[in-house]
Amino acid sequence: MDIFLQQLANGLTIGSMFALVALGYTMVYGVMKLINFAHGDMVAASAFVGLTIYTQVMGQATSLPAVIIIFLLSALAMACIGVILERIAYRPLRTAPRLSAVVSALGASLVIQNGIMLIWGPRMRIFPELVPQIYWDFGGVVISLIQVIILVLSLVLMVTLYLFVEKTRMGAAIRAASIDQDAARLMGINVNSIIALIFIIGSSLGAVGGLFIGLYYRGITFNMGWQYGLYAFIAAIIGGIGNIPGAMLGGMLLGLFNAFIAGYISSTWSDAFTFILLIVILIVRPTGILGERVAEKV
Amino acid sequence: MQKVMKMVLASFAVCLLVVPAMADSHMETLKVGVQAPITGSYANEGQGIENGVRLLAGQINAKGGVLGKQIEVVTCDDQGTAQAAAICAKKLVNEGVKMVIGSYTSTCAQAAQKTYYKAGVLQTSDGTADSLTEAGYWTFLRNSFPNSAEAEFVAKYLVDVKKYKRIVVLSDFSTYADGLANAAEAAIKKMGGNVVSRDKIKADSQNFTPVLTNIKSKNPDAIFFAGYYSDGGQLRAQQMALGIKADFYGGDANDNPDFVKLAGSAAEGAFIVNVPSPDVLPYEVAKTFIADYVKEYGEMPPSIWGLMNIDGMRAIIHAMEQNGSFDTRKAADYLHNLTEPLPGITGPIAFAKDGNRKGGAYVVKRIQADGSYVNEYVQ
Repeated sequence: MDIFLQQLANGLTIGSMFALVALGYTMVYGVMKLINFAHGDMVAASAFVGLTIYTQVMGQATSLPAVIIIFLLSALAMACIGVILERIAYRPLRTAPRLSAVVSALGASLVIQNGIMLIWGPRMRIFPELVPQIYWDFGGVVISLIQVIILVLSLVLMVTLYLFVEKTRMGAAIRAASIDQDAARLMGINVNSIIALIFIIGSSLGAVGGLFIGLYYRGITFNMGWQYGLYAFIAAIIGGIGNIPGAMLGGMLLGLFNAFIAGYISSTWSDAFTFILLIVILIVRPTGILGERVAEKV
Repeated sequence: MQKVMKMVLASFAVCLLVVPAMADSHMETLKVGVQAPITGSYANEGQGIENGVRLLAGQINAKGGVLGKQIEVVTCDDQGTAQAAAICAKKLVNEGVKMVIGSYTSTCAQAAQKTYYKAGVLQTSDGTADSLTEAGYWTFLRNSFPNSAEAEFVAKYLVDVKKYKRIVVLSDFSTYADGLANAAEAAIKKMGGNVVSRDKIKADSQNFTPVLTNIKSKNPDAIFFAGYYSDGGQLRAQQMALGIKADFYGGDANDNPDFVKLAGSAAEGAFIVNVPSPDVLPYEVAKTFIADYVKEYGEMPPSIWGLMNIDGMRAIIHAMEQNGSFDTRKAADYLHNLTEPLPGITGPIAFAKDGNRKGGAYVVKRIQADGSYVNEYVQ
């Protein structure tokens, strides 16, 4: 039982990181029908930006306000990069065939990844120990402070996002744009600024995910975005791409699935089983768990 | 017609430029290849090897080179992957190198081995996997000590000296780590020790808690991790985060400053098994070379491994000078039949007939709160 609960705690921690990143994929897809392959590399970039803010701007301060400022500044920086990315790589291709936009996304992914390598170097960089290593032992199940922070902060961000999209006027505009961009424009919604908003929200959530990866695992490499991006992308598909609660659910499920496969079968097989799960879901429920069946526009 | 003439003239000009350069490349300089992970997870070590080779080449060139020829260093980045290593081997052979220094990992050294053997190019690597010398290639000279020597030492230490009752052996899937862990497991069992679990992690996957949670349920008192520092540091941090009280022993490839940085405050109390560190090498030649290295690059060599490779290079160059020839076969024969070991940076060097380096003494180092090492046990 201890082992089961411990794997559950591990799975939820990783799952909430996947979910944060998956939100970026799913929101962009929801509105633009574009798979933003550069998102994973944005996540990696945010960990490096956070590291630089820590060393250069904050003077290696580790107090709580300093950590909060690092999170805010990194999210702000990544939001700016996200908007610039959309302006340069995606907006000129908005009316182009969908494949062109996907190729542009792959190109953007390579540019960001190599940009990180050129700026911060190819070596693994070590993220500072910003959260003290505090653990609680609940009868054999050990939970650390960083795990609690990751889980709670992720849930707060996700619930806030959900309420924002469902309950506010701006959220209604996002939903309208995702259903039909032309009709939304006729209703007086500025679709360009909605898309910019999507990139701001997605990129800053991804930035938080990237900082969590840095804080939790400590070692960050320029090419790690690919791995996390792929997992988050799968999470978004499992939950139903384009669906916000689906991305959260998909991320959590994928984290748990990974932890249990690695724990009870073998860590060697966790990737293989992840893809088997993806295939099964695509066969049984092609729209994902929470995805709705939508008729293809003709 | 004018166009055709222009093209003919142009290609003629190109030939004039290229042909002499190709014909003379063998004669002008002694080409030394470096095959190392300049990028990727082990970049730290790969750059250490390249820096060391360039420093030594510069020093030899300043003294007039080898048999009157200047050394020219050609580097190929194998990224720590077997695929890139195989390409590097072909590339370096085409460049016409006489010897290749590296690579850092056994996997990469092994992937390149056969190409060098077929081309008669000498290869000296710090790879410790026993399988590296099993093919019996005369071109391969191991400048470190094989896994089996380390495994024997670890088994003796854990079972006889520390008397652990429940030992876990952990590795990744690489040639080196898997080989070392298997050898250690066999040696521990042979000495009557109790291996409660033999687990594997996937290198670079970062999330090791599922495997560690299983290990926790076995209630071990010691964990021996054969694998690289980039995983070892995170493994140690996650071990402490899960409250696993067992003593952590990292194999030789954990001996890198990044281990301590990755593990953070959890590094304290972890043990690392390796040959002695560069800074405690007692030999005069070591002190001079390390001082030169620090002067040139402003930092200590990242670990002992770069220096081991430098020793391999020094041995080969010494053999060529003694033979008065660049013939690689003769150099290998000379090194296989040394009557007296050569003085090396990392200790006396002599090679067995199969290309293994003879000798080898290990130490167990404990990491202190400030990240520095203190010797716990010296063989």
